[in-house]
Amino acid sequence: MSVGDVAVRAAGVWKRYGGGLTQVDALAGVSADFGKGRFTAIMGPSGSGKSTLLHCLAGLDKPSDGKVFLGDVDLTTLPEKQLTHLRRDRIGFVFQAFNLVPTLSALENITLPLDLAGRKPDQDWMTTVVDTIGLMDRLRHKPSELSGGQQQRVACARALVSRPDVVFADEPTGNLDSRSSGDVLDFLHRSVREFNQTVVMVTHDPTAASYADRVLFLADGQLQSELVDPTAETVLDAMKQLETQQDTADELAG
Amino acid sequence: MFKLGLRSVLAHRLRFVLCTLAVTLGVAFAGGAMVFTDSLSTALKKNFAVSTAEVTVTPTSPIETGTDRPATFQIDLVDRIAAVPGVAAAVPQLLVSNVQILGPDGKLLENYGLTSFGAAWPRDPGAAPFKLVDGTAPWGGDQLALDESTASRAGYHVGDQVRIVTPARAVTATLTATTTPAQAGAAAGAPLVSFDGATAQLLLLGKPGWTSITVSLKPGSDANTVSKAIGDTIGDSVTVRTAKQVTTDGEHDLDNTFGGFGTVLLLFAGLALFVGGFLIVNTFAMVVAQRSRELAMLRAIGASRGQITGTVLAESVIIGFVGATLGLLVGIGVAAGIRFGYELLDLRIPTASLQVTPTTIIASYVIGIGVTVAAAAPAARRAGKLPPVAAMRDDVHVPERSLLVRLLIGAFMLLMAVLFFGIGVSTGGLPGAVLITLGTGTAVLAIVMLNPIISRYVVRALMYPFGRKAPVTLGRRNAERNPRRTSATASALMISVGLISGLLVIGASVKASIDKSMVDALGTAEILITNDGTPSFSTEVGDRTAKIPGVQAVQRVRQQSGEVGRANVQVTGVSDGTLAGPVTTTFDAGSAAALDAGQALIPRNLAKTLKLTVGKPFDLKTTSGTHRLTVGGIVAPNRQLNAVVVSLPTYATLGGSPSDNLLYVEVAKGNQVAQVRTGILDQLRKDYPTLQVRDQEAYAAVAREPVNGVLIAVGFLLAMAILIALLGIVNTLALGVVERTREIGLLRAIGMDRPQLSRMLRVESIAITLLGAFLGLAIGVAFATAVQSAMVDDGLAVRDIPVLQLVIAVVLAVVFGVLAAVWPSRRAARLDVLQAIASE
Ligand SMILES: Nc1ncnc2c1ncn2[C@@H]1O[C@H](COP(=O)(O)OP(=O)(O)O)[C@@H](O)[C@H]1O
Ligand SMILES: [Mg+2]
Repeated sequence: MSVGDVAVRAAGVWKRYGGGLTQVDALAGVSADFGKGRFTAIMGPSGSGKSTLLHCLAGLDKPSDGKVFLGDVDLTTLPEKQLTHLRRDRIGFVFQAFNLVPTLSALENITLPLDLAGRKPDQDWMTTVVDTIGLMDRLRHKPSELSGGQQQRVACARALVSRPDVVFADEPTGNLDSRSSGDVLDFLHRSVREFNQTVVMVTHDPTAASYADRVLFLADGQLQSELVDPTAETVLDAMKQLETQQDTADELAG
Repeated sequence: MFKLGLRSVLAHRLRFVLCTLAVTLGVAFAGGAMVFTDSLSTALKKNFAVSTAEVTVTPTSPIETGTDRPATFQIDLVDRIAAVPGVAAAVPQLLVSNVQILGPDGKLLENYGLTSFGAAWPRDPGAAPFKLVDGTAPWGGDQLALDESTASRAGYHVGDQVRIVTPARAVTATLTATTTPAQAGAAAGAPLVSFDGATAQLLLLGKPGWTSITVSLKPGSDANTVSKAIGDTIGDSVTVRTAKQVTTDGEHDLDNTFGGFGTVLLLFAGLALFVGGFLIVNTFAMVVAQRSRELAMLRAIGASRGQITGTVLAESVIIGFVGATLGLLVGIGVAAGIRFGYELLDLRIPTASLQVTPTTIIASYVIGIGVTVAAAAPAARRAGKLPPVAAMRDDVHVPERSLLVRLLIGAFMLLMAVLFFGIGVSTGGLPGAVLITLGTGTAVLAIVMLNPIISRYVVRALMYPFGRKAPVTLGRRNAERNPRRTSATASALMISVGLISGLLVIGASVKASIDKSMVDALGTAEILITNDGTPSFSTEVGDRTAKIPGVQAVQRVRQQSGEVGRANVQVTGVSDGTLAGPVTTTFDAGSAAALDAGQALIPRNLAKTLKLTVGKPFDLKTTSGTHRLTVGGIVAPNRQLNAVVVSLPTYATLGGSPSDNLLYVEVAKGNQVAQVRTGILDQLRKDYPTLQVRDQEAYAAVAREPVNGVLIAVGFLLAMAILIALLGIVNTLALGVVERTREIGLLRAIGMDRPQLSRMLRVESIAITLLGAFLGLAIGVAFATAVQSAMVDDGLAVRDIPVLQLVIAVVLAVVFGVLAAVWPSRRAARLDVLQAIASE
């Protein structure tokens, strides 16, 4: 992959919490490239550092060591204000829950990053995005009047509306039933296929991961392996394999 | 349950600091008022305890009199009382508060609000209200004595020449003695000038007479028996009191005097607590909402409703207790400060140690805890109603009383308010103003009730000019999202702004009315002569003024108080009914010519209430008794409010003293007013240094001055109420930041920068502030204009709405709103984005 094709790059990223005996390395030297127009899933057991990695990549958190590049911008040295504006203009984010501002309607939530930037939405793109989430008739509703799945789709639309360089999603389907999950994943998938968006998604659901082009496996803050063009079965196999490796490692350590 | 309450207070320390502060301010006012008045009256009463002659006799006055114009009697009364069985000696006394003492620089001595008294040197030192400290008793017209405190303050020593001004004339005399109060009484601690008896009568009364008789008893006689015997012998024309009764009456007077000051402080304490109550209501509503899951869980594991309500109330008791304790301490500090201030001024006000009575302590705690518990009660009640299953649910809604009930109650009260206003305006006068005030109170409560329903629309309209940028929309929506909290916060401000704007409008109207009545009152006169310090001055001033070149005519005006029916009136004597002066030029009936026939001119409203017409007789009570007069004319009201106007000869028959209160000077054609004024000053200032010679504008300015003073004093105290209302806004914003931590994290994550975050909170703050200011302004202006309409004939002839001042008040409110957002914004900006998102 040439530099021009990379949307985000992590280079030897460490994240260290605490100090002395209670020191935890949430990330221990993670290096990875995330290609433009690609859908990447990050998997791993709970506490393996997935969210931490995503936050570092999205400029929400600063690595203790290493660098993160969005295109050719080094996020680790960017001052707070520029970082905020970069998040607003060039990054989309979908959290597991509580994604929407309760006082704003669905439409207002979608356009919020643009409104904060003082930009006018690109009407064609808006229509496309809103069409794709399939909530035309719900745009005037407040979040409390939408189901969990609908809320997550609105959050996805918000993440996409400013045509960001990357959309990060941290377990976006973690709180949803399988049907709603399907809607949300379909939407992310289509945004990559049809609109050439770049998506990085954390999940622990093999089915969700199977929507991606590539899966990265994380354990103890380190990249363990990677799977290209996954299916639910191959992901499951890879997870099992990792678990046994992990157990043996633990036994050896113990 | 109390333990749980305590834990909660400790866990939410910050939030309770503001609540406690609100209680503290309120209790400080209340406690300070009580400590101060207790201390002062205890000190003064201590002096009363060492009182006075065994029996005191004073002439009975048909009307209430002041110490500046007491009722007098002739010396023969002394002999008649001396003859009563059981009386050892009867000594006449003379005490009047109508002298002015000048300093060595020839200027009026500053007395810091204390009244100066003039007295006759006692014939019998044993029964005297004051004792000799140094020197010898004054004798004759060129000797006088001063009280020690005043002499030392002014820097006079025995042997110095001292200048004083009395209603009879200006006097320069040798200081032969200094005195100290022997016993309390009206003059205790006050500046006191004394002369020998004949001089005192001449200078102070302008005629022979005395103001009281002190009686000593023969051994074995009983004060009660003797005083009854005196009463029986002399009759109703005198009031006889034993030492004990004098003490009680004096204490009563003191309580009235200082009670007034205390009442004002207590009123503001009430206001502060009322406004602070809104803050407490909000905080507890919020605490219960936040802890609803935990409280429901307690219910689920077996806590009763009462116990849940109990934990919440326990929190409020703790806050009330802490607030009351701090408030009491601050209050004592304030009282000590006031007392220290008096000592700094070297006024010999008898001082006692600070009196912190059990009543004060108990009252402070009852007030502090009572208000807090009352404000927390609705939230506590709702907490008790939480269903146990709420513990298992995600979205807990604390049950609230339905808005429909609010709407109905609010609408009903609003209707009542409108009714009060209507009746008040049509009734007019003071009763009308009282009704309007009641209506305003009802309207305030109605708006407090309706506010959660209407606030959304009002906020939207008021915030329209702020545009629709994202932070503005978010801030405005935040203000709308919890209507109860927003409106409770705004209501606190509404009350303060309402009072201030009402005050501004009434103040401006009073001033405008004074200006107008000045023009009416001065009529053709260009110059007005008055005296500083005491109301009346020597007739010689008028005599000399009339001879000054350029003076066309001088109108003498004398004033005393009287009663017609049950109404207090001013009795005004004028030397010339044809010169405008105090006689308004607008006659409803009759004419000024009636004055020379010994008839009286009465004001329109008096004629209306007593159904008097020209030619009808009426009874006028003055210090000298009841007099029958005939109505000679009915005049429109002017500055001489409620004045019954008579000619000077008639005035003399009504018992008025022969000294002038005002001189209206008409300048002869072809002369400059300023020149004539300088001429008068040159002639008279040397002998009468306290005379004020003013032209129209200067006099109007003087008449307006007390209005300014009152406005400033009240405005200062209202500022305290605003401060508490602002604390409420800070509180609400800070609560919002805590409550919406996650939302703020989200907004920051998707690209809201810190200035935008601050802006969002600022807009919310401004929205609440504008809501409060707007409603307050509406109520205040409505109240003031209605009162003005009701009192058109009672001194508020002109309505003046000071638009600029009101606009400034609203702009200031917005500025304060911006300031109130500073601290909550800082807190919000400091939130760590990731932690905020992860928070519950
Ligand atoms: N703010 C923090 N302080 C201390 N340790 C943290 C913090 N955030 C995460 N960690 C630790 O870092 C590790 C990785 O966390 P996280 O990235 O949330 O894992 P995942 O999302 O894969 O479940 C965990 O061991 C977690 O306990
Ligand atoms: Mg995670």
